[in-house]
Amino acid sequence: MIFIMAWRNIWRNKMRSMVIILSIAVGLFAGIAVLALYKGMMKSRVRTVIDAEVGHLQLHDINFKKDYEPKFVLTDGASILKTVSSMPAVKLAAPRSITTGMLSTTTGSAGVQINGVVPQLEYEASQLKKKIVAGKVFDPVKNNEIMIGQKLAKKMKLKVRSKLVLTFTDTASNMVSGAFRVTAIYKSDNTPLDEKNVYITMTDLNALLGISSGFHEVMLLLKNDEDVNKVQQELKQLFPAYQVESWREISPETDFMVKTTDQYAYIIMVIIMFALAFGIVNTMLMAVLERTREIGMMMALGTNRVRVFALIFLETVFLTLAGTPIGILTGWGTSAYFNKHGLDLSGMGRDMMGSFGFGTMIYPEFPADKLLVVMLIVTGTAIFSCLFPAIKAVKLRPVEALRR
Amino acid sequence: MIMNTVIDAHNISKVYNKETIPVYAVNNVHLHIERGEFTALVGPSGSGKTTLLNLIGGLDKPDDGQVRINGLDITGLSADQLIDFRLKNIGFVFQSFNLIPVLTAKENVEFIMQLQGVERSKRDARVKQLFDQIEMADKLDSRPAQLSGGQQQRVAVARALATKPQFVLADEPTANLDSQSAANLLDIMAKLNKEEQITFLFSTHDQRVIDRARRVITLVDGKITSDTAAVSTKHGHAGGKK
Repeated sequence: MIFIMAWRNIWRNKMRSMVIILSIAVGLFAGIAVLALYKGMMKSRVRTVIDAEVGHLQLHDINFKKDYEPKFVLTDGASILKTVSSMPAVKLAAPRSITTGMLSTTTGSAGVQINGVVPQLEYEASQLKKKIVAGKVFDPVKNNEIMIGQKLAKKMKLKVRSKLVLTFTDTASNMVSGAFRVTAIYKSDNTPLDEKNVYITMTDLNALLGISSGFHEVMLLLKNDEDVNKVQQELKQLFPAYQVESWREISPETDFMVKTTDQYAYIIMVIIMFALAFGIVNTMLMAVLERTREIGMMMALGTNRVRVFALIFLETVFLTLAGTPIGILTGWGTSAYFNKHGLDLSGMGRDMMGSFGFGTMIYPEFPADKLLVVMLIVTGTAIFSCLFPAIKAVKLRPVEALRR
Repeated sequence: MIMNTVIDAHNISKVYNKETIPVYAVNNVHLHIERGEFTALVGPSGSGKTTLLNLIGGLDKPDDGQVRINGLDITGLSADQLIDFRLKNIGFVFQSFNLIPVLTAKENVEFIMQLQGVERSKRDARVKQLFDQIEMADKLDSRPAQLSGGQQQRVAVARALATKPQFVLADEPTANLDSQSAANLLDIMAKLNKEEQITFLFSTHDQRVIDRARRVITLVDGKITSDTAAVSTKHGHAGGKK
């Protein structure tokens, strides 16, 4: 009978119940939306890191990354490349020669990381071709062409076909310089990297560095993200003298973001839940105060405190159960829509998003794996919120309640 | 004879505003009610009728004295024990009907029996019997809002009697009823009193109720000023104590 009473009680004031149901639905929707957005952003960021920046795995001389000294070359690079390319889990292996130096123009200079690449492999490895916003790809027959990021181009007032000079030390620690002409300006989702990274052909860079054979880095893209650890272990066994790092080690900030995303999302959810809790407390308290006389009469007749508590508790549970599917469905529908069409956040500031390494087009992903947690948080909030009104109800003295 | 005493209020007092100007709502009252009595508690407004009923019904505690129901001193019971005690021993009829609005007439009556753990078949049988007695067998599934005031009060009486309590306390049961409804209700209460030997104690200042009572206790300023057999004998129920 308490079940029946609780169910019918919630429909006594339809408007008020609908407000709570919608509050719960909105709370749940907000929770799902936040998680979906974060999940989408993180997935996008991880994809960018893997597909357009560092790949799944990188292989270097064990001393190279300490100071990026050009002398630490993978001298048997060709053989390494051949070996890793033949591994079944590897989709692509791209070699790079890398050094740091100074980019100078007539108007100023900037410190840069110079990436010497094999164009056809790099277009696929870091999607360099797709990032071009002005100019054209490397000409196979021309020398000393360079691709620079849009941010650097703006800073150094460079355009396509502008001339610049790169200065750096070679493998023998001699200062060397080379004049280059801008063939393309690219733009990625990571503005700080755009400002720092320039691309020339490996042939040009190796010639200036004095590397006759070999390179500094092999970047690997795998067929499946899940194979990273397995392939890393295999490579460590195959090349024990070299440093084999996964994207998590190369980009620890991304790994940290991925690991802390859920916590951030839950913090935001808790803030949303606080607002929801106050709404439920307010409404349920009104419901109790309006029925003070009725509850007093029930207690006078012999309804014990447990049953009175259960009545208020069940009313909140029913309201929560009514709101939950609405919240889940709208959350699922919305995230499914934007997962397909993308959510353009460029209005929030393209540069701001880019400066954190995020694209402005986000594809939220329904957090099916977190759904139970979200539901538990929302249900827990609703139940927690009913405690105060329910305790208020059980503390009523029938003789006083009946006078009202 | 002692075994037939249902209510034994011994020197009970209830004082409000103890810290400032004490007001004795009930002042040193002695009251004995025997099984099967049909007693009216009368007096002007503010004379302490409702307070006395609350004390007897275990809804409130006296500042002095004892209330014994069937020999059990209920003044020493905790709030939770009192709830359980009321459920098992006392039926209440309130002035303004006080049915649970979301339950049907049948469910309102059944609710108390369910609290007592009465099994469904017995509940159904008792509900049928009571609704026949209150002549509302056709209104079982009506919600309180669909019933007249008189019908609601009859359902309230049926609810009070559902678990066959030791006695029924009715606080101004006819106050909000028209003459015909009041008369019908009193007929039903008198019939149930007679048929089921259930003790009735009701507060009232309605002369129609007083006329039907077998014993009339008058309360003025919290004190019993008279306790007599009713003057009217037109229904043949006269025969109170003292």
